Amino acid sequence: MVGKFEGFEIPKPIPALTEDTKPYWEGCARHELLIQHCQDCGHFRFPPSGLCPKCMSTNTEWVAVSGKGQVYSWTIFHYVYHPAYAKDIPYNVAIVQLNEGPLLHTNIVECNNEDIYIGMPVEVIFEDVNDEISLPKFRPLSK
Amino acid sequence: MNLKETCAIVGVGFSEFGKKVPKSTMTLTLEGCKRAIEDAGLTKDDVDGLLLVLPSQEGERHGWVCRTCSHLGISSTFSAGLDIGGATPIAMVQMATMAINAGMCNTVVCCYGWQNSPMGIPLSMPPGLDFTAPYGDLAALPFKAQVARRHMHLFGTTSRQMGAVAVTFRRHACMNPQAQMYEKGPITIEDHQNSRMIVEPLRLLDNAPITDSGGAVVVTSAERARHLKHRPVYISGMGQAHSGEFMRPWRDPRYPEGTFEGGKAAEIAFGMAGVRHKDIDVAQFYDGFTILVIIELEAYGFCKPGEGGSFVEEGRLELGGELPSNTAGGLLSEGHLMGMGHIAEAVRQLRGECEERQVKDAEVAFVTGYGGSPHEYPISFSYSTLILTR
Repeated sequence: MVGKFEGFEIPKPIPALTEDTKPYWEGCARHELLIQHCQDCGHFRFPPSGLCPKCMSTNTEWVAVSGKGQVYSWTIFHYVYHPAYAKDIPYNVAIVQLNEGPLLHTNIVECNNEDIYIGMPVEVIFEDVNDEISLPKFRPLSK
Repeated sequence: MNLKETCAIVGVGFSEFGKKVPKSTMTLTLEGCKRAIEDAGLTKDDVDGLLLVLPSQEGERHGWVCRTCSHLGISSTFSAGLDIGGATPIAMVQMATMAINAGMCNTVVCCYGWQNSPMGIPLSMPPGLDFTAPYGDLAALPFKAQVARRHMHLFGTTSRQMGAVAVTFRRHACMNPQAQMYEKGPITIEDHQNSRMIVEPLRLLDNAPITDSGGAVVVTSAERARHLKHRPVYISGMGQAHSGEFMRPWRDPRYPEGTFEGGKAAEIAFGMAGVRHKDIDVAQFYDGFTILVIIELEAYGFCKPGEGGSFVEEGRLELGGELPSNTAGGLLSEGHLMGMGHIAEAVRQLRGECEERQVKDAEVAFVTGYGGSPHEYPISFSYSTLILTR
């Protein structure tokens, strides 16, 4: 029953592209992790926005980052907040800090939940949801 | 200009509240206003200001403030709708104090109403969820689980220490017949440890219940307060801080990891009131989740960063302890009264109305609120504080 509603399946939420976030999601669709980089102070910022929160500059470029980082914190979901995730329980949600600085919510894949730890080195991979949307997820950094 | 003790809280009141109350957000709001005005011994014609929490998770906020004024039949000369989450009730009391001092009004009702499952009202999903929801991360608790994990990693904080917060506040709720968890009775650390995991490392008993409710307080000038029904409870100190520090990769260098820019909210309030931590007789910490109390104790200077876990474990927050806190049960056990319950309980303590759970000779109370955007990007927080005196 969970995950179904009167005969049809409830899909997982997918991001809606906005004026601010379109370049990010378009990059993901090409399997490129693009982050906004301030051309004045060099700060990398996430989530996407119209100006740099460090120096207020609007001179911004989208740059492909390394896709490497570390687990900053992580959790395991045992509760169904949304029926579309019922079959995934228990699943992890982690916060990864990219080497360039920004923090991203994500899932750690290709790894058992019990093997995740703070400081774990990880690298990005992309999971295709449809033609327009791919979600950046992270796996343990291959040696 | 120091506004210390220029205004007072003279009435508090709540609607019927509980897990499911079949009343609209508006009706819960109106009932809260009515009860607070009655508690003050006033009539609606004495009220000339109305501040409201915007029902931000529901698509019904448009025109919310003037519609509420009309439903109440109040002729207001100062009104606003605010939304900084659970920090809003305290922020409204602060704004009322400023507006009264500015001469824009004399008597302000500060109210919220919260219906978790409003009929016929579409839920609005903020765009900031696009960076969390697709990963299965929804609701308020999961981010606190991330915070708890990080705190455990940095400082060795344990789940049992978080449990101590839940156990203490439940004990207090068992002295409050109005509390949502009153009938459930006391809990032990073992009950906490055996409660099911919701989002690891947080368990069911780390989490406040869902509550449909409305509540309000009445603020007026100190001069007018002295001629009303109850002993006035003076607004002595107030502060706010808005930041995104916990998860921000660059930070204010004055606040290294493990400390909180939110602490500024307390520094400002203590400075205004001219009191110190040791002067606080009773505290009401915003406690949507147990870990929050541990972090607030550190942020607001009641202990050092990283020592919140051992602080709560040693019984300091209990009635009879060094810092009796959340004496009505808090969000965790009185019910999710959005922080308005915390203001109301501080008022009741300073009036000396709390019977079994009364803190003897309570003269100075510290109250906190917490909210903002803690589970959507950019993750950011609002902190608010009040120091109340009699």
